[in-house]
Amino acid sequence: MRGANVSDRRFPPLAIALGAAIFVLVPLGLSLADSGYFFRLAIVTLIFSILALSMQLITGVAGLLSLGHAAIYGVGAYTAAILSTRLGLGPLLTIPLSGLVSGLLGIALALPTMRLVSIYFAVATLGLGEMIYVTLLNWVSFTEGPLGIGNIPPLRPLGIDLSGPLATYLFVAVITAIAAVIVHRCTHSYYGNALRAVREDDQCADAMGLNVVRLKIEVFAIACFLAGIAGALWAHTTGYVNPGDFRFAESILILAMVVVGGLGSVPGAIIGAALLLLLPEALRAVGEVRILMVGVVMFLCILFLPRGLFGEVSALSLARRQLGAAWQQDRGVGWR
Amino acid sequence: MTTTRRTLLLAGAALPLAGAAVAQQRTVTLGYQLPLTGEFSQYGERFRNSAIMALDAFNRSGRIPAQVNIVFEDTRSDPREAVAVARKFVDNRDIVAVLGDFSSSAAIQAGRVYAEAGMPQLSQTASHPDYVKISPWQFRNITTQAYEGPHVARWMAANGVKRVAVVSIQNDWGQSVVSNFADAFKATGGEVVATQMYNPGNREFRAVLTDIARQRPDAIYIGMFYEDGAAFLQQRRQLNIRAPVYGTSSMYEPKLIELAGPGAEGMYLSTSFMAESPEAHVKAYVEEYKRRFNSEPNMFSAQAFDAVNIMLEAIARAWPDVTRQRVRDELARTKDFPGVTGATTFDPETREPAKTLARMRIQDGKFTLIQN
Repeated sequence: MRGANVSDRRFPPLAIALGAAIFVLVPLGLSLADSGYFFRLAIVTLIFSILALSMQLITGVAGLLSLGHAAIYGVGAYTAAILSTRLGLGPLLTIPLSGLVSGLLGIALALPTMRLVSIYFAVATLGLGEMIYVTLLNWVSFTEGPLGIGNIPPLRPLGIDLSGPLATYLFVAVITAIAAVIVHRCTHSYYGNALRAVREDDQCADAMGLNVVRLKIEVFAIACFLAGIAGALWAHTTGYVNPGDFRFAESILILAMVVVGGLGSVPGAIIGAALLLLLPEALRAVGEVRILMVGVVMFLCILFLPRGLFGEVSALSLARRQLGAAWQQDRGVGWR
Repeated sequence: MTTTRRTLLLAGAALPLAGAAVAQQRTVTLGYQLPLTGEFSQYGERFRNSAIMALDAFNRSGRIPAQVNIVFEDTRSDPREAVAVARKFVDNRDIVAVLGDFSSSAAIQAGRVYAEAGMPQLSQTASHPDYVKISPWQFRNITTQAYEGPHVARWMAANGVKRVAVVSIQNDWGQSVVSNFADAFKATGGEVVATQMYNPGNREFRAVLTDIARQRPDAIYIGMFYEDGAAFLQQRRQLNIRAPVYGTSSMYEPKLIELAGPGAEGMYLSTSFMAESPEAHVKAYVEEYKRRFNSEPNMFSAQAFDAVNIMLEAIARAWPDVTRQRVRDELARTKDFPGVTGATTFDPETREPAKTLARMRIQDGKFTLIQN
């Protein structure tokens, strides 16, 4: 595989710096602050980074506006909750299984809707999201309905206690890093270019021999898999899930993260997630108007930076320059 | 009013710094997590108003030689923010106990954090059965159907009712209305002759009414909210069914009488808070609330007022050893606390509240208190 050669050949300094920041600097700083609050914010930001990354794949790269992403995330959370409370499975099983269930559900939902374009697809996903929410709410014998599922065990894979703040952070950070690599490889590659071609003009892409429907289903399945993983992490780190946590407003929040961060940009998704989660917390001192101020910031972002805080073009050149993604300079092979 | 609120917030925010400066004047700090923005903000606003009232009165009374502060943190009753705020309160070593949150799910998610850290938590509204089961650190100041059902059953038995028909909405709450009432009523020697559940949104009760009338019940018990209740009462009058109706406290709402008109006459229901109550301390509370905040207090405001007072009472009893552990233990000893929502006792084992529920009857188009 050629891709492997690339990463063997050089260690991208940016990846090392990011890894050092996420795995050494942030946990060191948080440990010194000894604050459960900051750890919690960091963990939630990481979980929502996974969600924003998966949304980026669907909406930013493949150009499919999905309004039901929170429901898929909810299915992941409920899968982990049910598997761990009823069957007593550990997180090493519940997390991948949640991803699988969400991914399979994604495929099932994608099959009938993939021929829909633009706004029609958005409304279809909106309806599917509501159906999932109503099912979680009313299937009382299975999901416990409006009462939600409590007592979900914290992260204790193989009997190793990772329920402390630092260990939980590192565990979630490792999974987030893997998710980021997956999304990076799907985006900055021929595959990503094919998805962008579908986004720009699906008929044209079809005429060029790309299997548009298959591409869309694949990318939807990958994104739903990641959303399911995020849901499982949420369930295990919070301990209680309720259908109300996975409503339409959450889908919009995830969508806003992607748009504010920059549609089509992998770092943008993470920046957007961090901004929209940490800004309301940072503004606590200003009192009730804080949510209004978050709205103002979002509005100004879109007004002055319509391509996002870290737009697609900058993200692509960064990936090419720093990570050498699928680009072999000496042989002149790669994507531009 | 605004000044007081701002001062309080500032005092709360500046507390870690102020602690060193005024070391001779001890302060006790409480956290209150509540929805001050978002879709539930009208409830959070009421909780904060009541909390400020209770706090001012306590600090003026000089019961302990220290000032009590409350740090209010907005959570929007959103699970992400509720957990983050819980972590924040736990980190703050000055905070000895926490009030809130509003919704059961936010209270449970935050409760897991408090359980792990050993922080007493008292919610004014979380009625989820699992909430108090999280750990010995959780308390609530709202009665559930597990308390109200048996109360109504005993009331009916005392009024000589032997045969009851139950009509209730088909949801989790309605299920708890039926099961809690039926068990207690059977225990008094009575018989539930019919149980009818109706789907949410359905306001056509004639078939249900005809069916239960055939069983010749001595009384009908209805578990629903006032919009459905008004339709039920009207249709019962149209069909001329004479069996008296007992209702859940959820129907205590002036709109019920407005909508049902003469159909509401004679209905019995119980409640923990009655704004028109002639009792002196309830009157004083209602008047002060109206004067300071220019709005009528309702059950939610009263629930919060009592929750804060119960907490302050526990702190006063724990003084001078005001620690998280001591405050929890004193909360568990709450007995016959004379609040505006009736005398409240916390069960030391289950930490469920027991309240004296007031009994009312609708007479001449008004909710009238029945003297026991």
